[in-house]
Parts: sequence; C-alpha cells; structure tokens
Amino acid sequence: MILKMLSLMKLTFKEGARERAILGIGLFALLMMCASFIVVNFFMRDLHKVAVDINLSAIGLAGLLLTFFVSINLLSMDIDKHTIYCVLSKPFSRSQYIWGKYLGIMLIITAAFFILTVCSSINILLIKSQYAVWFQRFSWMEFYKAVYASLLMFFLLNAIVIFFSTITTSSFLTLLFSISTYIAGQTIEEVVMFLKTSGAEEMALSGGVEKLIGIAQYILPNLSAFDLKVQASHAIIVSNSYMMGITFYSAFYSTILIFAATLIFNKRELM
Amino acid sequence: MKKTGQKICLIILLIGGLIVFQQNFIEHRKRLLNTNPINYFVPSKVTGLVSLEFKGIVSDFLFLKLSTLLGDKIIKKEKFKQNQADFIYQAADIITDLDPWFWDAYLMADMVLAWDFKEIDLANKLLLKAKKYRTWDFKVPYYLGFNYFYFLQDNENGSKYLMEASKLPGSPEYLPALATRLSVYQNNYGPAIVFLMDLLKSTHASSSVIPLQKRLETLIILENLEKQVDKYEKLNKSLPTDLFDLVKKGFIDRIPDDPYGGKFILLPNKRVFTTSKMIDK
Repeated sequence: MILKMLSLMKLTFKEGARERAILGIGLFALLMMCASFIVVNFFMRDLHKVAVDINLSAIGLAGLLLTFFVSINLLSMDIDKHTIYCVLSKPFSRSQYIWGKYLGIMLIITAAFFILTVCSSINILLIKSQYAVWFQRFSWMEFYKAVYASLLMFFLLNAIVIFFSTITTSSFLTLLFSISTYIAGQTIEEVVMFLKTSGAEEMALSGGVEKLIGIAQYILPNLSAFDLKVQASHAIIVSNSYMMGITFYSAFYSTILIFAATLIFNKRELM
Repeated sequence: MKKTGQKICLIILLIGGLIVFQQNFIEHRKRLLNTNPINYFVPSKVTGLVSLEFKGIVSDFLFLKLSTLLGDKIIKKEKFKQNQADFIYQAADIITDLDPWFWDAYLMADMVLAWDFKEIDLANKLLLKAKKYRTWDFKVPYYLGFNYFYFLQDNENGSKYLMEASKLPGSPEYLPALATRLSVYQNNYGPAIVFLMDLLKSTHASSSVIPLQKRLETLIILENLEKQVDKYEKLNKSLPTDLFDLVKKGFIDRIPDDPYGGKFILLPNKRVFTTSKMIDK
C-alpha cells in the first residue's frame, strides 16, 4: 500500500515539476529577494529586519502561488479534465490516490521551499557581509524556524486544497474556497481578539454574529499561528515547545482533512 | 514581410505615443497628488487584517511611505503644521502595531515629534510602547530619559530611565555617570550633543544623516557661544550686552551663521538661543 502511494507521490511530483508556472513563481520570488539588496538602503537601522522581512515574504508568497496555481491543478484538473480515470484504472484505491497526491504536493512544496531557502540564505549572507554592523541582532536559527513554520502552514493549506477538491465540482470553486479559508484562517485570531477588546462594543455586533465567529474559530485552522516572520526579523526566540505545538497542530489538522477527503472521495460519483 | 514591417512601425509609433502621453500623465498625476496628498494611514485594525501573514513587509512599506512624506517636507524646507503631529503619531502607532519591535519607526517618530513639534508626551507614549516590546534594548529607556531631561527638564524621570538604560547590554559607558550627574548638566547643550553624536553613529541612510548633522552643528555652535559668554563674564566681571561684545573683545572672530538661517541671540540669563528654533527658515 505504501509503495503504491509512494509511486503516486513520485508521479504527482514529476507532473508538478513539469508545470511551467513553477519557473515563473521561482523567478518572481528570486526577483523579490534581489530587490531586498536595494530596499534595505532606504532604512536607517533595521536593515536586518527589512532583509529578513522581504526574503521570508518572498518564500511565503511563492508558497501561496504554488498552492493556488499549481497544487489545485494537480488534483482538481484531474477531475475537471477526466484524466483521473486513467489513474484510477490502475490498481490504486481512491484513498491511495488522495494520499499519493497529497504526499506528492507536499514534496513539491518542500523542494520549492528548500531551493528558495538556499537562495534567500545566500541573499541574506551577501547583504549581511555588506552591512555587518546592522546585522548584530540577526539569528539564522530563528530565520529557519520561521521558514519551517511557513512550510507547516503550507502542508495544512494543501490539505485544505485537497479537501475542497474532493467536495467541489470545478477547480475554480476549489480555488475560491481555498483562498477564502486561507484569508479566514489568517485573520480569525485577530477578529476574535478584537471582539474581546473594549473597542468592539462600539461596533454592536448581533449576538448571532458573535456566536458564529466563536464557532468559526474552532472550525477554521488558525493559520496565523504559523506566521513567525516578524519574530524572525528581530531574532525573537520562539520556544521549542511552541514549534512542537505547531508541528502537531499542522500534522493533526492535515491528517483529519485528508482522511475526510478520502471518505468523501470514496463516496463520490465521478461519472 | 511587408506586413511585419508595418506592424513593427506601428508598435514603435505606439511606444513613442506612450512615452509622450506618460510625460504628460506624470505631470497631471503630480498636480493631483499635490492637491490631494496621500497622507493617510488605514487603522491597524484593518491594516493588520488585510496584511494577512505579511505584516512585517507591510510595516516596512508603511514606514517608507511615512519617511518619504516627512523627507519630502524636509527637503522642500516646508514647515510642519501642528496638526501633523497627531498624524505622525498615529502613523507610527499603526506601523508599530503591525511590527511592535520596529525601532526605525519608533525612533523616527520620536525625533520628529520631540524636536520639530515639541510634542514630548506623544513621543514618550511611543517610546513607552517600544519599551514594552524591546526589553533588551538600552536605546529605548535612553531616549526616554533624554526626552524627560532635555525637553521636560524632569531630572528625576530622566535619571531613572538613563539608569535603567545603563543596566542593559550594549549601553554606553558614560550613561551611569550621566544619570547621576544630570542636575549638573541642566541648562546645558552638552547632553544633547552627546545624544546626537551617538545617534549619528547608529544611523545608516545618508538622507537621514543630513538633518541630524545640521542639528548637531547648531548645538555645537550654541554650546561654544555659551562657553565664551562664561569666559567673558569671568574676565570682565559682567555679562556681555549682546554677542557682538564677544567679537569686540576677541573671544570669537565673528558671530557664526545659524545653519537653519536664523540669528543667534544672547538672553539675560546667559543662555544663547537661535531665532530659527532649529527649524528651516
């Protein structure tokens, strides 16, 4: 069973790597990283912060583009274009197909993150060598922790993409639902925090809306928990227990979503 | 072949037209921006939400927007209107809501609010916010102490914050001595000169260095003139009636020019001030 999933993972990875969009996304991220060379000069003291901000944002943005424009194609397009029948005619179960696809997408994202992290490390190293005085408060460890946290977020986000691919009938709807969940997941924590402050009283939300937001915070994934970019840019130490916490959070949430996706996909009428 | 040539000619013509149009458009856009400047910031409750996971880079962008706005005024030597103090405070507050450790934003707002607007309370409010987050940084209590001492003439609080700063890693060696002897320095430009020299050492961008250097230059002139007034008093057992007395008696060759375009004047309490108030004329 594992061998079958691994062969599907390999297939998905090869299919994804052939997508021309990957080259464009990579180039965009690299250009953004190179821009940090110029942009840091506009700042007075926090040069290290700006360099880290831009590099981590470039990695994050590339991850988002990969998820929304490459990952979605890899599963939803299979269903949209009916190429899925070719794959399912082989001795694979539908569950194995979903797991194989997810693992393949994870591999693509991990490979892209690895390449971009190497590029951004070289970039930061070059900026650091030029402006060493302004990099006294910079930590490679915190920088890599932020990259790792971002990668965990994309594992979860791609599980969401897979989940929506199994319940919707078109890739456009998958894209729409995935983007909405991403935005809601990134903002729900702040919205809940705001509702707990005194300023929220002036907004006078109805009890129903407040309850809905209360329920949403337990259903929606808290994606902002994976955002450690600001901490990394100031070398604020994030504890190992926190890192463990988000690792388990991502693993559990993703596994639940993929299991749910396999359940739905097994029952789905593909004709 | 002929058709391709025609197409290329058409593209070249269109590019030419676009360049001409753009020149015209840029002028129109400038005029529009002058009448309706983009000097507003969306509150952090909204900016924070729409920034998603890119709060750091958004705070960098907003900081650049604020510094461009202020830099433009400094370069054009435009006077700041008093109501702009609130705008600068709010903008810095929004930027530091997105990234509460962003020192450049705190410092720039502190410098402008304290030196140009004399809004020390607003400047201190931002520094107190910085103190909550940048717990390792001696510069935060250092600048707070300076504001209390120099602008508010509150030696007690000034000394308290400078002592606090002296206990943090990387603080200058002279801080404990300065903190304990603050009252000696009252009515003296010395600490301001030390403060600005220190600030210049830690400033990278050249555009930010120029106004600081100008201010430092003026303070050095003021301090030197006050020293010469003291010398005059000691030797002549009386105060000079004005600064020309210093020239007449050979203490100075001439009354120096104020880098801000004002005039130096001697006050009855022996202090030398400038009519420019260190604001560009």
